[in-house]
Amino acid sequence: MMPDFHQEGQPEVKEWVPEQEAPVILIENLSKTYGKIHALSGITLALSGGVTGILGMNGAGKSTLFKILMGKLKPSSGQVRLFGTNPWKNPAPYSRVGFVPEGEKMHDWMTAHDFISTFARLDGLTRDEAKLEADRVLDFVGLADVAHKQIGRFSKGMRQRTKIAHSLVNDPDLIILDEPLQGCDPLARTTIMNVIRELGRMGRTVIVSSHILSEIERITEQIVILHHGRLLALGNLHAIRERLDNIPHRIEIGTQAPKDLAKSVIDIQSVHGILFQSDSVLSVQTHNLGDFHNKLPQAIIDGGHTVTSIDNPDDDLESILGYLTSGSRL
Amino acid sequence: MDEQTTSENPASADVSFTESTPVTGQGRMDAAWGSRDGDEAATAQVATNSASVGYVFEQVYRPWNGSLNPRWMRNWAILRHHVLGIFRKGHRPWGWPTKLFMVLVFIASLGDVALTLLSSLIGSPELHAMWGVNRDNLYGHVLGFFPRNVLYYPILAALLVGGMISEDRNHGTSALYFSRPISRFDYLMMKYISVAMIQAFVVLFTLMIYYFVEILAMGRGWAWIIDTFPLFLAAFIGGVMLIITYTSIGLGLSSVSRGKFFPGIGLVAIVLGTKTLAILVSNLFERDIMYLLSPYDCLAHVGQALIGTQTTYDQYSWTWSFASIVLMNAFFLYIMSSRVATMEVTRE
Repeated sequence: MMPDFHQEGQPEVKEWVPEQEAPVILIENLSKTYGKIHALSGITLALSGGVTGILGMNGAGKSTLFKILMGKLKPSSGQVRLFGTNPWKNPAPYSRVGFVPEGEKMHDWMTAHDFISTFARLDGLTRDEAKLEADRVLDFVGLADVAHKQIGRFSKGMRQRTKIAHSLVNDPDLIILDEPLQGCDPLARTTIMNVIRELGRMGRTVIVSSHILSEIERITEQIVILHHGRLLALGNLHAIRERLDNIPHRIEIGTQAPKDLAKSVIDIQSVHGILFQSDSVLSVQTHNLGDFHNKLPQAIIDGGHTVTSIDNPDDDLESILGYLTSGSRL
Repeated sequence: MDEQTTSENPASADVSFTESTPVTGQGRMDAAWGSRDGDEAATAQVATNSASVGYVFEQVYRPWNGSLNPRWMRNWAILRHHVLGIFRKGHRPWGWPTKLFMVLVFIASLGDVALTLLSSLIGSPELHAMWGVNRDNLYGHVLGFFPRNVLYYPILAALLVGGMISEDRNHGTSALYFSRPISRFDYLMMKYISVAMIQAFVVLFTLMIYYFVEILAMGRGWAWIIDTFPLFLAAFIGGVMLIITYTSIGLGLSSVSRGKFFPGIGLVAIVLGTKTLAILVSNLFERDIMYLLSPYDCLAHVGQALIGTQTTYDQYSWTWSFASIVLMNAFFLYIMSSRVATMEVTRE
């Protein structure tokens, strides 16, 4: 077959076909060591569809996991499958993967449009397709008006969005974002979070890591927690919190008369303890959050209390990480 | 812009300062501005929001309904990205020293073309005998030691291969390549071919110009072409071997390096250093066999045998030199391929 040097020929059907029954990401007993350092130890995981947040402290192994998924690192043991194929041996699955690396290194001498269309052609798009798709994804991330400016002149948030756009140019089924919100201003963060949520809603598998835990909460409730290279927890954020039965949940109730309210809520069976946090806040501990929240309104009505706020401070990611890693709140 | 006038001017209150006066915001403000004269009619300007609210937060994803193209098209994209970087912006950036040196070498390589034209114009058979197309000059155009294989081709190859693989790490490009459906073999081969193509532009394209200018300027007929074409072909094959060997050595060194200095200087050192070593050993101990370690000597020996000029090392068969070239290429290709196949991108 002669190459079509004008790149205007009709695209051909790909030879590689993903396994239909296989999960998008399958990780089995994956380990990675650097000498004596265990970056990842025995991770087993399967993900398909929706947005999943990868959480962990610095050095937890998030970036190492992503690098292995993206074929940049070779696993020391265990295996990784993307769409049922080992990407280290066969990079074909990457035709359906988009990756946003953590690093700041980009092709600063190129315009955003050139950068995206150049790498789109490495995915196998024709020249015309690459230009059209570059326009499409730049519009999606809100950079259409600066598409022909050099990346070197972009702000951090614009560079991040350019990276996201470049990862979407092949319309991937799996998008992996390593710290996409790092260093972005609030506007860029909101835009990026909207992009991620939108992709998740469309049924794409999106994996996103971040240190900004509150923002991960705004993106997804499905999380994977890594700590010291081990898989600490996996599943719905609130379900994980529910399973920490030995550690009571804390509910902070704002009221003018905490003592009076305490008399009312102490009768609820699921209440484990009560603390007068301040003159206007009552802190209640419970092992059964659902039961307490079901019975609290009635107790408030029966007692005629005025409640100004109800907050579950333990139900955020920082607290869960703290509980899981050290047994106490962060 | 809307202009709003404050209804109450805090500066209008009578404030006196003594030693016991507490430091308040009002006091600090007065100290900072130094005076309240004229501040009584304080105004503030508030920008109106004319932008459509929520526009920047709107993301509507339109999926692409195409299908991706096969392997050769991806490989072609890599190749053109590298080669076009020599001529155009928006592709792989080549340093200006490389571009400048390439132009200079290209022009210098056309020296025999210019003198052939000159000899044709002034009708000087002596000048033409010295510079026109013949067995020795075809050999010299590609494999002549000085200046071409001292000052031109090894240095051009060194500049090209220097950062070919190592610079990808600096630009974060290797991470982007390896996250694409591109095998490492393809990545390597396209880099290899792009370096070889650029060298071929200087070495082989100028050889072709040289030959065709002779035909046109001297009005050569078919008989001459039939006689000399095998010589041209032999010189062409010699040039191909030269390009392949320099590229293999250079990229082999680039693959094990993180910078561009070591591969570049390493290639020049291997080409010229082994040649110098062979000369020293030959002069001191009267043994020529060390030439087998010199890529240039081996290439020259094979080239001389192909073109049919007097061989420098006529006591040895050219097949030894050919075997040495094959071994050198195999060694450096092995280093390059094994290194890239196992390369882990840890710092990007």
